[in-house]
Amino acid sequence: MIRIAAVGDVHVDKDVLGRYRPALEQLPDVADALLIAGDLTRHGTVEEAQCMAQEFGGLDVPVVVVLGNHDHQSDQQAEVTDVLREAGLTVLEGDGVVLELNGHLLGVAGAKGFGGGFAGACASKFGEREMKDFVGTTEAIADRLGDALRSLECDALVALTHYAPVPETLVGEPLEIYPFLGSYLLGQAIDSAPTALALHGHAHHGSERGRTPGGVPVRNVAHPVIKQAYNVYQLLSEDAGAGLVRV
Amino acid sequence: MTHQLDEYMEAEIQRLLTEHGAVAEQGITVQCRENLLVLGGEVESAERRDEICRQITANFPDVQVACDIGIVRAAAPTEVEEIS
Ligand SMILES: [Fe+2]
Ligand SMILES: [Fe+2]
Repeated sequence: MIRIAAVGDVHVDKDVLGRYRPALEQLPDVADALLIAGDLTRHGTVEEAQCMAQEFGGLDVPVVVVLGNHDHQSDQQAEVTDVLREAGLTVLEGDGVVLELNGHLLGVAGAKGFGGGFAGACASKFGEREMKDFVGTTEAIADRLGDALRSLECDALVALTHYAPVPETLVGEPLEIYPFLGSYLLGQAIDSAPTALALHGHAHHGSERGRTPGGVPVRNVAHPVIKQAYNVYQLLSEDAGAGLVRV
Repeated sequence: MTHQLDEYMEAEIQRLLTEHGAVAEQGITVQCRENLLVLGGEVESAERRDEICRQITANFPDVQVACDIGIVRAAAPTEVEEIS
């Protein structure tokens, strides 16, 4: 059994310091790792990344994150990544990591992702350069995510993105903005590997649960959606664990 | 200039909330009632909620604003979901 805690869109700045900490102190009792689905900061500054490192660093479990669009706002994503890595967080962008937890190997492949929309209402690589760049950006990210997922040797495989891979977990958002919230290309990448669970954020008004066309469970863990410090998901179940009520 | 509660103003408010450095929120809903602007959604701190109301009031002084923005709870979970 592996238990993964997950949250996204924590948007940390000075004013958030200490808000998550009481719940995070309890995390090692109920989960083996923490995955964070992007929008770690408000504007992607180094100062905010330091706040993020302070709030989510120094836990007794591994912390794996991807960046979100907010973490790109100041064009300092490289510096933000450095600060988080120095604090011991694993930052994924089109690559993966395998963690040994509880005697099992958990593989996590992560990427920020990008928009473009979903079958029947998606952008195409056609026309203006800007449009081709937009779709091309998502394609390149999805390709790397798929490669990373397929390359990991593990007992349980998790995909971690900021943008959504399916439209079901966007329900609650205006339909008109779905193309800015995710892309079917991410879902396709997730379905190209034996993924056990796909986690994403970004859609603050979306819904919690969905599935890819290939049947992979998808969870939107954006903080305003889950309305608690983190959710806990159990993979490779063989027995009922202690600590939390099973649902 | 008197601001009308119309679609242009709603668009202007949404962009202000996202692009203004002191706010940077994409998840705030704006509903126009007859003479009242209702702000909704959830943010990470009381300071952020108050700043949003301050910005809207400062930029649209003749509009009456109701701020229904909440602060997202950050308690530890009591349940685990089994994925299969
Ligand atoms: Fe967000
Ligand atoms: Fe986002």
